[in-house]
Amino acid sequence: MHPALAIAAKDLRQRFQDRSAIVLGFVAPLVIAALMSFAFRGTETYHVDIAVVDNDHGELAAAFDAMLRSSELADLLTVRTVADEAGARRDLANGRLGAVFVLPAGFTAAAHGADAASASAPVAVLGSVDEPVATQVAVAIADAFAAQLNAIRLSVAAALSAGAPPDQLPRLAAEAAQRRLPEEVTVQPLGATPLKPISYYGPGMGIFFALFAIGFTARSYFAERRDGTLDRIAAAPVRRGVLLAGKSLATFIYSLASLATMAVVTTLAFDADWGPPLAAAALMVAMTLALVSLTALVIAAARTERQADGLASILTFGLVLLGGNFVFISAAPAVLRRLALLTPNGWALRGFTDLATGARGWSIVAQPVLGMLAFSAITALLAAVLTTVPSRRLVSR
Amino acid sequence: MTALAVTAVSLRRLLRDRTALFFLVLLPIVVILVIGATVNNAGELRVGLVSADPGPLAAELVAELRSSLATDVHSYGDEDAARAALRRGEMDAVVLLPPGLDATLDAALADGGTVPITMLGAGGPSTQQAAQSAIEGVVARHAARVQAAAFAAGVAGGTVQSRLPDATRLQEQVPEIAVRTETVDATSNYLPPGFSYSAPTMLVLFVFITSLAGGAAIIQARQLGIYQRVLAAPVRARDIVLGEASSYLAVGLLQSLLIVGVGAAAFGVDWGDPLAATALVTVWALVGTGAGLLSGTVFRTPKQASAIGPAIGIAFGMLGGTMWPLEIVAPVMRTIGHAVPHAWAVDGWIELLSRGGGIADIATQLTVLAGFAAALLVLATIRLHRRLTA
Repeated sequence: MHPALAIAAKDLRQRFQDRSAIVLGFVAPLVIAALMSFAFRGTETYHVDIAVVDNDHGELAAAFDAMLRSSELADLLTVRTVADEAGARRDLANGRLGAVFVLPAGFTAAAHGADAASASAPVAVLGSVDEPVATQVAVAIADAFAAQLNAIRLSVAAALSAGAPPDQLPRLAAEAAQRRLPEEVTVQPLGATPLKPISYYGPGMGIFFALFAIGFTARSYFAERRDGTLDRIAAAPVRRGVLLAGKSLATFIYSLASLATMAVVTTLAFDADWGPPLAAAALMVAMTLALVSLTALVIAAARTERQADGLASILTFGLVLLGGNFVFISAAPAVLRRLALLTPNGWALRGFTDLATGARGWSIVAQPVLGMLAFSAITALLAAVLTTVPSRRLVSR
Repeated sequence: MTALAVTAVSLRRLLRDRTALFFLVLLPIVVILVIGATVNNAGELRVGLVSADPGPLAAELVAELRSSLATDVHSYGDEDAARAALRRGEMDAVVLLPPGLDATLDAALADGGTVPITMLGAGGPSTQQAAQSAIEGVVARHAARVQAAAFAAGVAGGTVQSRLPDATRLQEQVPEIAVRTETVDATSNYLPPGFSYSAPTMLVLFVFITSLAGGAAIIQARQLGIYQRVLAAPVRARDIVLGEASSYLAVGLLQSLLIVGVGAAAFGVDWGDPLAATALVTVWALVGTGAGLLSGTVFRTPKQASAIGPAIGIAFGMLGGTMWPLEIVAPVMRTIGHAVPHAWAVDGWIELLSRGGGIADIATQLTVLAGFAAALLVLATIRLHRRLTA
């Protein structure tokens, strides 16, 4: 066996005998992904229970009620009957209703005028503090209805202002009521797959826990130097490059195995979407390469086991925080989104987000992979520069 | 006295450790900043806009969308970039203004038709609904003006363009049928958005994790035989236990104080009733103390404590509602979540920050947390005492 492979095999054997490494690399990410998957279950549809308190009793109030019960809004709304406003408020407060409309007296009459006297009291939307979206939806529905009435009022006012005789007001109002608003919002689906939380936090947690390998490897390196293992290896006809290659290979395999396990298990058990296997594999390999070069940097920069441990922890947490492993980075302000692309895990998550939302094509994978490779190259270069400093020789002589 | 000396030594050891200071001081503050900024940003509607039409009516609609929507409207040069941002969840909705909007609008006004303004929606159904509502409101207002100008032009002569300024002026003047909103209850089950959400939840998360990871120090001291050597002197085991416990408590309290202080000073967090907040911070530091001492007796190596401790802390934090509100999870997960102390602490902070509660309002949470603390402390003390004297 090639010495590098022998060294890698020995490191891997040690790693898999270490219970902490198994827990961190394989058990913890799965447990946490499971928790996330359970937590976000059942938030896929949106529906509001609403009620109308009718103080108008006119034809517009009836039309409003009919609109709420129309088939177009049936998926969104369920109209419940309430005895009075007090009852509606109680139901809102205890969560039985999401929003309540209160139609004012004189609502119908208001549509047929254009002056201040004919404007009715406002339509009230009652909402609950914990259902801001329900309130927003109800306001929008009331707004849309009021917009039609206001358009009629505005048309009549504009005609009068342009010189139409005031005695023709009833005819103008009737004519204006025939018009439709000339612009209308139509909603088109984006055509992309909606991002499932598990498809984001699965890779997020997988990468987070894989990054702990930096600390493990760096610590074991310094432990071996302290115990004299490295000196003994150096006594054998093994070049320093071979030793480093072996250690890097072990870290690479351990981290890749951890990520791949996460991908397979979350896909099978929690329906996570990591994208096409080849594309996902490319992202994982690039991420793991970045991890290996980070390990080299930590080993090169630290002088003691303790320093290595500290530096690795700080790097790990700094990267996951910036890269978005713990917060959904797309929801963050633009400046944080840009900062995330300075980290390899940020690029990996960008790639996995794209794959999980159905984006396909070479550039979808190539861009993040290049981002991660660039990061790895810079990190490796930095590590190489640091090791040329005599006091930081990898193997003491 | 001996216990105090033990505490002082433990604290000095910790304060010399730069890595520990990173986790104790810097990390929580950066996390509060990142999560707070993200929660704040996501709480507002993020709308993208693609407009290819430079006509005056289209320009007016763009201006109206910009000024009326709650947050910044982000313009995209091409549709593909806007679609990618929407797909990734960077936007809640994208409005596509059709090329030649002015011309089609003129035609629609002539024959009574409507021009479709396309909104692309993605993300959760609720955010999409909210975005659609907001955009519809703006478009309806614009459409009403255009309709009125066209109506006036039809009745009294002129063009849509020439009547539009008048219609715009009248829209400000003519009393409208307004829609007003009223919130009927004040008892929120959520923390306030932004930093008032991230600061208390991260206090709960980090004080616990710091304590758990801190168990490593006890294990190291045990492995090095420090306790045995100390016990060779006229020192009682219970003094060592007491000393270690007070050092954990001191660290927990210091970290809490730091988060509360920075939260209030830099992020504008109102921590509510001071007495109740102090009680909650103290009892939570005691829970952390118990958990930290226990971790010092349960784990075998310092490495286990400092590696597995945070993982357990994160898992508990997720169960207990420090990573997302327990209001959004299924009821059964909410019940399970209350098996860990975190859920009770977060409930306490919700009462203080969102409902203006006082110490009496969080009596239940304080009692449960005190129970957790007592159970953990008793268990940890017995185990540690046994390890020291065995």
